[in-house]
Amino acid sequence: MDADALSRPGRTAQRVGGALGAAAWFVAPFVTLVLAWAGAVWLFDVPVRVFPSPADVAGAFVQQVDSGVLGNHVWQSVRRVFVGGSLAMLTSIPLGVAISTNRAVSGFFTPVLRFFSVLAGIAWIPLATLWFGYGFGAITFIVFNAVFFVVVYNTILGVNRIPGVLRDAALSLGAGRWQVLTEVLLPGALPNIVTGIRTGMGFAWRGLIAAEIIATNAGLGYMVFLARDFYRTEVIVLGMIMIGAIWVAIDRLVLAPIERRTIERWGLTRRTA
Amino acid sequence: MTRAGAVARHLIATPAARTLGPFVPIVAAWAMVVELGVFPRAFFPGPLEVVRAFGDLVYKGILPAYLQDSVTRLAVGAAAGIALGVPFGLLVGLHAASYRFFWPIVIFFQAIGDIAWLPILLIWFGFTLTTMTFVIVYTVIFPVIFNTALGVRTIAPDMVRAAQSLGAGSHRILWEVLVPGALPNIITGLRNGLGYGWRALIAAEIIVGTSGIGFMMFDARRAGSVVEMILGMIVLGILWYVVDAGIVAPLERATIERWGLTKREA
Repeated sequence: MDADALSRPGRTAQRVGGALGAAAWFVAPFVTLVLAWAGAVWLFDVPVRVFPSPADVAGAFVQQVDSGVLGNHVWQSVRRVFVGGSLAMLTSIPLGVAISTNRAVSGFFTPVLRFFSVLAGIAWIPLATLWFGYGFGAITFIVFNAVFFVVVYNTILGVNRIPGVLRDAALSLGAGRWQVLTEVLLPGALPNIVTGIRTGMGFAWRGLIAAEIIATNAGLGYMVFLARDFYRTEVIVLGMIMIGAIWVAIDRLVLAPIERRTIERWGLTRRTA
Repeated sequence: MTRAGAVARHLIATPAARTLGPFVPIVAAWAMVVELGVFPRAFFPGPLEVVRAFGDLVYKGILPAYLQDSVTRLAVGAAAGIALGVPFGLLVGLHAASYRFFWPIVIFFQAIGDIAWLPILLIWFGFTLTTMTFVIVYTVIFPVIFNTALGVRTIAPDMVRAAQSLGAGSHRILWEVLVPGALPNIITGLRNGLGYGWRALIAAEIIVGTSGIGFMMFDARRAGSVVEMILGMIVLGILWYVVDAGIVAPLERATIERWGLTKREA
């Protein structure tokens, strides 16, 4: 996968050096990109109403941080994802395991779950705003929805992929139902569950931005859409960068390492994406 | 075993019955909840009303027209996404310096997400088809680039060396080793991209709003017609099911069986 995943733990100094090198390699493309952006805006004399220069965006950043507006929008968005995502995980994993312990039941529910995971997120926006009104409820519902069905579906998939031999072996060694559940089924399904969470959170983050554009008065989605009304492209671009950066942080620093570690620890097969 | 029993069992075993069967009790339960009047009917209409709305909108020609709009946009987006994404993915995957340079940028732009582009696209292009096309192409292209590069990079170097030592030129290696080897990943990327692109399309249609299923649903929201919203959701679900289970998944399975080095379940 990444360059850092290839390196084996060596001496500390080497590791620090490697990490610095990797960081430099990660930053360099963005520096080039920002320079090219600044050069293009300056060269073609692009008006701010069409596209801002990096300096405009930096100015907007300082101004929005100073007034506390940006902090509030970021906080609102992250809180919704956190609340909706946690609720979804707390309910979907037990439900998925419960459904999957019986073959007939899981066979019955799989098409239904696939149908709903296809609809997850954005397609619920019209209905959610009608049921919960514009605001926290509707948006949290959409985040919940985006994560819930994908995780249930993947949990079932994970449990069903555990070879029956492993379950039988545990049973014949005298494990009770509870032990089989906590020591065979859950760990065995974990790689799939984590992959499901990562996919679901990806849908949830996009769904959140769309929902915030349509149905609220705070959050990053609202911030960029409000800025559009005033042709404040520097605020729009700032919002886009924040949306990208927060997702990269959540995905690369939290979800991907968890996924990699569970797959290394518990996985039967390696997954490459 | 009676003959009727055997026939019934045979029917249950067909894939269509196994897929559709579970929806029968769910629709029945839905109808019952509506009949019992747990929720106000205006907020939560029954299946019959949705079917009636379906007949009505088909008769008026609104649903077929909107459906065609949405599907055309998705098809154009997918085609453009592949046409641009695969060559770029090959470049990024094959050329080490390009990989180091472009990889973080690809990850970052993938993370910005389709919908976040809408506000600035609206400033540039207004509420037009260009805006929607841009959003879909953008959404499809990154997973395709990502997975194409991944596919090329996971081809065993021995394969390339074997082809080289058998006298294959770089052109033949590209077309007979690298592209086929990366094909399973490319298809997977396309499937992911379409999954995201599909949702982006709905969001774009809701926000940009000129036509399409997403527009129909949000228009219904304005009019307070829950029936049409639910109808829209069902149409979206079925349509995606057909695209995914009927076209993309078999394609993926076929390429993985034909070309894949590893098997992947999904």
